[in-house]
Amino acid sequence: MPLVVRRPVRPLHILGWVSVLVGALLPFALGSQPFVLQLASQAIVAATLALSLDLLTGNTGLLSFGHAGWYGLGGYIAGLGAKFVAPEMFLVLPLTMIVVAVVAWLTGLILVRQIGKTFAILTLALSQIFYSLIFVASAWTGGEDGLQGIPVPTLAGLSIAAPTAWYWLLYFVLIASLLLALYLRRTPLGQAWLAVKSNPERSLFVGIPVVRLKLIAYVLSATLAALAGGLFTLFNGAVSPDTMSWLESGNILMYVVLGGVGTLIGPVIGGAAFTFAAQYISSLTDAWLIYFGGLFVVIVIFAPDGLFGLASVFWRRLFGPSRGQVAR
Amino acid sequence: MLISLTLKGRALGAEGPGEGIVLALSLALNGLVLGSILLLFSLGLTLIYGVGRIVNFAHGALFSAGALAGAWIASSGHSFWIALVAAPLLIGAVGLVLDWAVLARIRDRPMVDSLLLTFGLALLITGVLYQMGGRNLTMLQPPQGLRGTLTLGTLSLPTYRIFVSALAVAAVAALLFFLKNSNWGLRIRAANDDPEMGACLGIDRESLMHSVVALGAALAALAGVAAAPIFTAYATVGDKILILAFMTVILGGLGSLRGAVVAAYVVGMIIVFGEGYLGGQVALMLLFGMMMAMLIRWPRGFFGEGRTE
Repeated sequence: MPLVVRRPVRPLHILGWVSVLVGALLPFALGSQPFVLQLASQAIVAATLALSLDLLTGNTGLLSFGHAGWYGLGGYIAGLGAKFVAPEMFLVLPLTMIVVAVVAWLTGLILVRQIGKTFAILTLALSQIFYSLIFVASAWTGGEDGLQGIPVPTLAGLSIAAPTAWYWLLYFVLIASLLLALYLRRTPLGQAWLAVKSNPERSLFVGIPVVRLKLIAYVLSATLAALAGGLFTLFNGAVSPDTMSWLESGNILMYVVLGGVGTLIGPVIGGAAFTFAAQYISSLTDAWLIYFGGLFVVIVIFAPDGLFGLASVFWRRLFGPSRGQVAR
Repeated sequence: MLISLTLKGRALGAEGPGEGIVLALSLALNGLVLGSILLLFSLGLTLIYGVGRIVNFAHGALFSAGALAGAWIASSGHSFWIALVAAPLLIGAVGLVLDWAVLARIRDRPMVDSLLLTFGLALLITGVLYQMGGRNLTMLQPPQGLRGTLTLGTLSLPTYRIFVSALAVAAVAALLFFLKNSNWGLRIRAANDDPEMGACLGIDRESLMHSVVALGAALAALAGVAAAPIFTAYATVGDKILILAFMTVILGGLGSLRGAVVAAYVVGMIIVFGEGYLGGQVALMLLFGMMMAMLIRWPRGFFGEGRTE
């Protein structure tokens, strides 16, 4: 497959920027509904998290079943940093990202050499190890009860407490990382990633350093997930071991599969949409897990390209054959 | 994430002279018990992988389903023995239906899809179990004759644990015997070694896969119901054992039957000894570290026959 640089059709660009603007102005529309704003902030974190997993899965084809481990680990490191060092985001968050990047690099050295199935199993096991770690260190982490009493954080000395300020901060991080991910897609690195994804063996033969590229994706993905976790913990003021459970990992996978693996924008939409849907459905019924699991099964069987894949099929029907194709 | 199998072993170690040795021996016995349960459970996982190339993330949910089904059958007035037989049959039928209705839809899809699908199934089954009352712990009493403790010198072990180990070993031996000596087993082994070649020789992969998934589900359920008097029964009881079983099949090599047999006892010993001396969470971390080391040196498992595709 020749390396085709994706050139999306023009209307999509405009649509994209309009929706970015709408997202940014959302707090003005929701001024009187703090609960919805809170939910929207959660949706943004979910979207960032989905994007971080798609950086790995969508770019290299490696499927992580323990992504919540990085999210939770980031949450705990940031929470501990804010509680015991200083609640300054410019200090705590970079620290979190560095620590997680190092841990991801060390484990990734071994993990990314594994083939798909073993990798999937190992990531699940690794996230369980992080989960255990919380209980081993329960003197600091609070064990089962979670880490509580995290002070209100500051950003360059300014205390960030207002829900709207939080919304914009989280939104900024999401858009910045989405733009970065889309930019990476167009760079030689991103193109080489796609080559690795579509055929690792052939990539190796043409001289692409497959393991190193996978490792870069793995570390980037873990670091962004940790940033999302750190931000959410500071936003929430607490973090519980449940953030690392394999159900949570399943949630993140669901965002990505629902949105469409490898589309980058799809998972972001998937994460946000799913968070709202989960909230409303679980307020209607307590059999949430059945619908969730059932939806998962149905999507994998009938729409393996996710909603984004379905949408792009319709888009092509409407606007004729597009030059680029949605990478999968 | 704690398999509380060794609490008794720890208590036992505190009495009499030579307590270090007694503790170690008692831990070794408990390691054998856990290893046997793990073996019974992971054999189905290995078979499903070998024949269908599916890593079954729903296997833990089937374990829980078996444990809960057994506990509910027993609590509705039937004897333990009926529960022990009926629960695996029931869950085996569930496995058959799942393979026919769900897994068959993605036979020729990439590996990723099967992982996602079984993951979704795991959530679905867990959800159903929650809905049926699986949030609460349910006790399953062992039958009257097996409630005592067997004592040998200063060493003692609940009789039921000995029974579970014997049951697991017998079931596994019977399965291996059938695999070796029956027509069905021959076809399984052929498909396990090379599915495409097997299909060329006229092996009907569909019906073979139905039987393998049904059998794997039944074995998981048997492990679940047999272990229920030890671990109790609730909707997520299988999650713990699934992680251990994954470690088992990787240490033994994906798709390798004899690798799984050895690895199950290795994992059982590591977990029980780790718990006895270091604490449950540390044991899991130790096991994971060991597995990472194994993967660097012997990525194809103990016998070097694990799959790499």
